[in-house]
Amino acid sequence: MPAKTKPKKEIENVQENLKNIKNIEGIIGYLLRGPNSASIDLKDPTKIIDYAVLSASAFEAGNDISKEFDIGEVDTIVLEGEDTKVLSMTLIDHRLSIFMEKKVDHNKLCKDLDLT
Amino acid sequence: MDKDTYAVALKNTLIEIRKICPDVSCSFIFTKDGTIIAGDPEANEETMEKTVDSFQSITEKADPIGGLQALLIDGEKGKVHLSRVNDMYLALAASKNADTIFLQAVTRLIVPTVLKLLESITPTPIPIQSAPSKQLVVDTLSGFFAGDSVQIDVETLTQWSEILNRKNIDDVEIEAFGGKTAKCKVKEINDPKLKGKGIIRMPEKIGKALEVKKGELVRVKPTAT
Repeated sequence: MPAKTKPKKEIENVQENLKNIKNIEGIIGYLLRGPNSASIDLKDPTKIIDYAVLSASAFEAGNDISKEFDIGEVDTIVLEGEDTKVLSMTLIDHRLSIFMEKKVDHNKLCKDLDLT
Repeated sequence: MDKDTYAVALKNTLIEIRKICPDVSCSFIFTKDGTIIAGDPEANEETMEKTVDSFQSITEKADPIGGLQALLIDGEKGKVHLSRVNDMYLALAASKNADTIFLQAVTRLIVPTVLKLLESITPTPIPIQSAPSKQLVVDTLSGFFAGDSVQIDVETLTQWSEILNRKNIDDVEIEAFGGKTAKCKVKEINDPKLKGKGIIRMPEKIGKALEVKKGELVRVKPTAT
């Protein structure tokens, strides 16, 4: 997925905003992977690998499907499960996945976290 | 109703949907096991197959969110929605400004209604049983006798044998944090000091292939037969 042209300062702001994300009702946690590091904050740490693998698959599949249908650079990928969903996006060279309950308005969350 | 008639009925449904909503550029329907049932005339076979492959690669890993119900990709020029409809999946590609409410109506009302009607006179696909998995900590096997097999606790192997009703578990699939996977032979841990510690001992070359180091977590499950 091509990186967006947001300045690095904005990434730092996002990282700062993510620190308190679990206080938002319905948020399960997040994974933020950079080229050399990863920030992880999940309510259930036993699921770190499961969520990380799912997140990596979402980016890979999102990219592949985007190419197949020629829809251009991917803005967001949303995976919906039975009662949980995942919002994934690329911010410069970081890959962010936020895990939340299905009832959470992810569009509003994007705005609140300054991700749009 | 035979399979061909079933597919034609669904294909006609997809064609009618495109007539109502020209923003939909392509649509097709496939089953949980990846069989493409029907596609509109714009649906390229290669595109459908690659999309289904990509979708299934996520489905296999979607247990933590209770299985995959929908995948929504918003791109610069358009969007792709893949949604579960009864026991099948509907894929819709649409322009950036396509009416989301209409797309949801198609996904949640029109296609389910048609499928329900058709399924009342044809059998539905059989669900596939998924294998149990465990998170284990990586320990490196090195030296001349490291071999090509990984080692895990015998209790885990026994548990999997019982659940899957298989005499032995000979192979496992390992998934790393970064999404790398590897299939390899498995044996029980032979060092008594390392038993019951929730570890997986793996030769260095497997660790390199998975891009994992000692102490990192991986997910391990028996390979499907």
